This record gives sequence, C-alpha cells and structure tokens, in this order.
Amino acid sequence: MKIATSVLAAALLSATAAWAGDPGVSDTEIKIGDVNIMTGPAAFVGRGVSLGSKIAAAEINAAGGINGRKIKILTEDDIPSRSFQALTKLLEEDGIFALNGTSGTANALAMMPLITENNLPTVVTTAPSALIYKPVRPSVFTFGASYSDAFYAQLKYIHDHSEPKNPVYGVIRQDDDFGQEVEAGYERAVKEFGVKDGIRLRFKKGTSNFAAEMAQMKQAGVNVLANGGIFAGAANILSEARKLDMNLQSADVWSEGIPASAKLAAPAGYDYTVGDYVALSGPAVEKFLGMAKAFTTADELAGVSRYTFVTYVGLKSLAHAMRECGKELTRACTIEKLRQTKNLDTGGLSAPVSFDNPQQLAGTEVAVYQLNTKDLTFHELVGFKKY
Amino acid sequence: MRTGNYKESVGELIALSDSKAVWAWTIVLIAALTAAPFLVGTYALTLMVSALIAVIGAVGLNLLTGTTGLISLGQAGFLAVGAYTNAILLTDYHMPVWVGLPAAGIAGALVSIVVGIPSLRLKGLYLAITTLAFAFIINHIILYAEGMTHGPNGVFVTGAKLFGFGLQRGPALYYLTLTLAIATIFAALNILRTRVGRAWIAIRDHDIAARVMGIDLVRYKLLAFVVSSFIVAVAGALLSLQIRFVNIDVFALILSIEALAIIILGGLGSVAGAVLGAVFLSYLPEAIRLVLSAVIDPASPLYANYVYEIRGIANGFVIVLFLRFKPDGLIGFWRDARKYWSNWPLAY
Repeated sequence: MKIATSVLAAALLSATAAWAGDPGVSDTEIKIGDVNIMTGPAAFVGRGVSLGSKIAAAEINAAGGINGRKIKILTEDDIPSRSFQALTKLLEEDGIFALNGTSGTANALAMMPLITENNLPTVVTTAPSALIYKPVRPSVFTFGASYSDAFYAQLKYIHDHSEPKNPVYGVIRQDDDFGQEVEAGYERAVKEFGVKDGIRLRFKKGTSNFAAEMAQMKQAGVNVLANGGIFAGAANILSEARKLDMNLQSADVWSEGIPASAKLAAPAGYDYTVGDYVALSGPAVEKFLGMAKAFTTADELAGVSRYTFVTYVGLKSLAHAMRECGKELTRACTIEKLRQTKNLDTGGLSAPVSFDNPQQLAGTEVAVYQLNTKDLTFHELVGFKKY
Repeated sequence: MRTGNYKESVGELIALSDSKAVWAWTIVLIAALTAAPFLVGTYALTLMVSALIAVIGAVGLNLLTGTTGLISLGQAGFLAVGAYTNAILLTDYHMPVWVGLPAAGIAGALVSIVVGIPSLRLKGLYLAITTLAFAFIINHIILYAEGMTHGPNGVFVTGAKLFGFGLQRGPALYYLTLTLAIATIFAALNILRTRVGRAWIAIRDHDIAARVMGIDLVRYKLLAFVVSSFIVAVAGALLSLQIRFVNIDVFALILSIEALAIIILGGLGSVAGAVLGAVFLSYLPEAIRLVLSAVIDPASPLYANYVYEIRGIANGFVIVLFLRFKPDGLIGFWRDARKYWSNWPLAY
C-alpha cells in the first residue's frame, strides 16, 4: 500500500512538473515577443528592428530550430503610454516565453515591472541605456554600447586623425536621458583631449528648426560638432551649418548610420562619422544581406538597417541560450545560460557577445564609420573596440 | 406605452432618473462589472482598467469642455501632474495610496487655478492654444525639476497598498478604478443638477446672457477648471498605478487630442456620452485587430509589417465616418435606440 502511494505520488509529481512548464514553449514551438514602434513617423525603425528577429527566427528554423522547436515571433505595436499594455497582451493572450526587441529607453523601462514579475528572459538591443542595466534586473540582458562611448570614440578619432587647426568643440543634444549620455561622451572627450569646449546646447525632443542654435555654434567658432540630433533633426542641424558655411567635423548618433538618415543628411555635404556597436558595412553586412534574401520579400530587404542587425544579434544570443538548455527549456535555465554566454560569434556583425559580467551587458565595443556623401556608403575608420 | 412625463415635485424634477428600469439596468451593469474579474482573463482586465481610467478622464474633461464650453488641450498636462504627484508621493515619500490619490487631485486643481486665471477672458481657439501651452510648460518643468521629478529618467511607481492588498495589478486595481469611475460619474451627474451645473451650461450656451442673469463668470469658469482638473489628475494618478512607470514621453500631446475625440465622439456635454466615448475608443483598436486578423493571414508579410498602420488608418476612418453620419455622437445612437424601444410598436 505504501509503495503504491509512493508510486502514485511520484506519478502525480512528474505530471505536475510536465504541466508546470513555462508559458510559450510547446513540443514544436517557442514563442518570442517583440514590442516595437510599428506606427507613426518612427515606424521605419520599428519595422527594421522587428525584421531582425524575424530573419534570425527564419534562419534558425530553416536549420532545424532549437532542439526541434521552431521559433515564432509575435509583434505588438509600442507607444510609451501603452508599452505596458502591449507586453501584457503578449504575456497573457499570446503566452510568450521570452522577449527580444524593444523600442526606446522609456518604453523598455515601462515594461520592466512586468518583465521582472514574470522572470521573462529579455534581451534589450535598441536602448542600451544605463537606466536599463542599472540596477541589474536578473532576467534582463542588454546588448549595445552607450551613446557616451559612441560619441567619445568618434571624437577621439577626429582628435587623433582629422582635427582642424585651432579646434573648438561644441555639442547639441536633446534634453532627455539620451541627450545626457551624448553630453557625457562629449564631456569625457574635451576633458581628456584638453581642447576648447566652445558651447553646449540643449533642445527639446521633436525640434526641427535649429537656425538659432547653429548661429550660436558659428558665433562660438565650433569646428568639431557632437551632433545629438536624430533623423530629420540631425539632418536639419547639418543643413543649418551648411547655410552658415561652417567648416565642420561632425560626430553623429548611430541612427544616422541607416540609409534613410544618410539620404536626408547628405545634401548638406558633410562626411560625418557614426559610432556604432553593429557593423554598417563590410563583409559581415554583405554576408547577412545574402542570407536574408532567402527569408524576406524585396520590400522587407530594402528596410534592412543597423536596427535589423541589433535584434538579429539579440535573438541569436537568446537562441544560443535556449539551445544550451536542451529539451527541458525553462525561463530560469535560459536566463542562467544567457548569464554564462561568453564570446558568442555574431559573424562580424558586432564584437562577440559576452553577458558574463555583473551588468549582463554585451556589445559595448564601438566601431567608427564615415559617410561618403557622394554614394551614401559608410566605410570603417576604426574596428570594434572598447573605450 | 408611456406617452409623457408629469412631475409633481422639485425632487421628481431633479431626480437622476425617474425610470425604475433605468435603475434596475444600472444595478445589473454594476453587478456585472463587479463580477468581471472572476469571468475574464488578465489582459481583458487590463483593458477594462484602461477603459475605466479613460472614463474618469473623459467625464472630467466633459465638465469643462462639454458642459461649460471651455476647450482645453491641456489634459495631458493635468494627467501628468496627477501621475507624477502620486508617483513621487508613493515612491519617494512612501506615502499611502489614500494620501497619494487625493493629493494628485488637489495638485491638479491647484495647478488649474494657475492656468485658469489667465485663461478667463479667453474662449474657443485662443483658450485651446493657452491650455496647450500649459501642457508644454508642465512638460518642461517635469524635465528640468530633476531633483523632484527625476527629470527625463522617469519614476517607477511602487508600494501602492490598501488594507494589505497590492493596488497596482489585477482585481485590486480594477476595483479601485471601478469604484472611482462610478463615484466620478455620480458626482458629475449630481453637479449638473445643481446651481453650479446649470450655471456652467448657461455659460456654455451664452456667456453674456449668463452674466446678465447674475452668474459670476470668473467664479464659475474657474470652478469648472478646478473640478475638471481634479478629476483628470486623479485619472492620471490611476494611470501611474497601472503602468507603474511614469516618464514625460507618456504624456504626449496626442493624449489631449484623444481626450477631446472621446467626448466629441461620445456626445459633447453628456456624461453618458463621455462614458460611451471612452469605452468605445478604448476598445476600438482591439475590435479592429480582431477583424483584421480574421480577414488577413497573420503569417503574411502584409500582416507582419503593416497591420499596425492599417489598424491606425481604420481607427481614424471609423471616427471620421462616425462624426459624418452621427454628429451627435454615440449618445445620439443611444437616444435613438431608447426612443425606438419606448415607442415600439409605433416606432418610425
């Protein structure tokens, strides 16, 4: 009788264990969420981000999946007041296992309470702000360099190789957390190089007219600019500089490394630099595009950008961790394996990924590229390097 | 069949409703809403909380714009004041939620006096632009008063508890929001039956005539600002409890536009209209999502890449068509349906 009871208890326990599997994993499928800006003016960025996850999933699935399970990507549109709602839907309605691909810092932060509560394995790739990894949240892994390092890297290159005579540095940046990081990189550079700090200007997010700001820059004699504008903002800053006939070396945000931004800014004629934690050109990008052709429509392929590469790397890291867990895939195991990830090769799209550090932060190495305004291509000036 | 109304006392004249059926259906609705957490999933409950917060905000705005005729584009600013007050009191000062919520309302009301006084001589578009400017000022203050508001970094809202129950998720948050929504609706309906409510309506209909009749325009317009902003700021505080992280990006101008769209679509000047508009616009994107997933293959590239844009366009189209063919809003539909039902079988 005792033995029978024990056997029954063991059977019940094993049945419970089978039922207690984490959401989003079946025998054939693993559901991965993606919350991105898919509407409005920034939709082209969100579509690029989302595409990275989809290409990585298609490539992994074509190679047999993760221990026999196929990856399914579920996307939700993201706006700051509804990031929380979007992730709630993915968790409660769709039952995702993990999250790869988020939009801005504020949006990602708005999802943090839910991510922490659900112990949801999450790779943040598009908002590598210190606010994401300080304090460290056990299930959150960040891929990407800081804006501060990206600007420092560019300004260092300019200082070492192409600094004009009598250099006067200046910075123009948004009045938010992103802008603070841009200025931190600038601050580090001007202090370390001992160059003249001409002027520091702030502007409100969404500003499109920079005539007054650039007139002040000209007045201050700025000839090395840390341009903290993004997309049309960055292009307008350079356009105003051209109107004032300023002779500038411009260091820009990585958002200016995508074809659409380059097209906007190129008419000003400044061969600006961009610091980035993923490749903007070279054999790795060529190889990626060749592979992606098999999994995308022509329309989708045209939307591939650096934003695609970051989530591609993010999902590859997540897939590596899930594969390491074997058949018994759980969130806890995935988080543990992500934490152990060391020198994961990304085929040259970024520096190797290592999350085995207290901040669970990888991809902090920055490469510096320069735009050729004539053919809208970027060429590498400095390879991936820690700053 | 009822053919008319005959009121014998002032009490009957100002009753919220003289129909037993209306009271019965109201009780049924409240009972159904009370039972909802036991019947629906977490995501549906999240949507219901969002809709109830929208109801509170819309009823508040309706008192100012629909009832008093003062157009405001500053609702995002008042929501931000309420959300930040609650978030800072809970997180930085560890105040209980029963202090945070009323304090948020009072902060909104006090700020509204600052906005209201310079706006007293303004009407229409001029007032709309002034209130819009206020929303921008609030935005700047939040960004630059970093010592108090955490600036661009935002505030994580934690520690909201009442009688030991965590108030930031699930049924507890739902019941808190439902209670406040019901209280707001009844408060608004009651205000409209008072001298204050009638004065607001008179100001909306013709402010000079109202002044000739002895209504103090300064006092009543300011009162409309204060009451409306109190309610909207409480909605902001509830929003901060729900989303658990407040940052200035949450309170974009589009929120003010959406709030106006809600009360116009519902039926300007009507409390029931504000409620219907808030519920309708809260659920419209979900309804369109369900329709689109039924007609477009979710695995297709069209769905994957453009369904959200299509949903946004469809959302806009529904609103445009609605206003074109039903300019008196959802409340117009409701009145037509009620008339049809009351007059049946002689309805036409």
